[in-house]
Amino acid sequence: MTDPEFREAYCRHKDVLYRFAWRMTGSPASAEDAVHDCFLILLRNPSGYNAARGTLRSFLIGVTRNLALKQLRGQSRFDEFDDENEDNAAPSLPDLDGGSRAGMIARAVASLPPLQREVLILAEYEEMTLEEISRVAGAELAAVKSRLHRARENMRRMLAPLLDQKGIASGTNR
Amino acid sequence: MEPTDDAKLTELLKEWQISGAPPSLDERVLGPRRRWWSVLLTGTIRIPVPAVIVLAAILLIMAAALLHQRPASQAASTAINLAEFQPVKVLNVRVIRGSNDPR
Repeated sequence: MTDPEFREAYCRHKDVLYRFAWRMTGSPASAEDAVHDCFLILLRNPSGYNAARGTLRSFLIGVTRNLALKQLRGQSRFDEFDDENEDNAAPSLPDLDGGSRAGMIARAVASLPPLQREVLILAEYEEMTLEEISRVAGAELAAVKSRLHRARENMRRMLAPLLDQKGIASGTNR
Repeated sequence: MEPTDDAKLTELLKEWQISGAPPSLDERVLGPRRRWWSVLLTGTIRIPVPAVIVLAAILLIMAAALLHQRPASQAASTAINLAEFQPVKVLNVRVIRGSNDPR
């Protein structure tokens, strides 16, 4: 990969990766570290990306995802990432009182178990297909569907007050 | 019922927006932005090897042509032109004696 190619890749994908990493880690500083390390990996080993296996965007999101999960592992217990544990994982309701609506949504997303969080972020914010998410997360399609379903259920439960407000607001608009 | 709930949730989630990567990340990944005078003093440019070879060949040819031209012009300025030289037709030698010469 030449220097101009690297710069172009950086300029094209930095914002997506940064937003994804921020939502995953809940911290702008950690997001910056993850994106920096991701491009360092691309610079040192560009042959790690194989165009036949997907787009560069998917590859970079996959690398950033691994780095973000590594950071989260450093902050919490490792078994929280176990899929079996996540199947039954129901996040405790965060304190959503006070603050802006965006802040409340951020807290609700942050309270999701990491594997549910990543599929929710990739599906809802990055608008990736289930197949793309499956490649990025290195998980079976069925597992991704299941995680996304549980993540949405949890979010609906946690954000019920906001959803009700929204329902009322959209009802009055009609 | 379910798709409507999903759509509502998607709409609600979109209320949490995050700005793009900060300039500090650009500096970390791409290096600090250099000032124009710094580029002039320490900047480098990449030139393809064939272009360098062609340029070097042109310079060598020009240098050789200059060196070849210079001795020729120097020789031309110091050389005696004998093209219009003609021997003296009437030789009239006049001997002038000096006062100290013995008679």
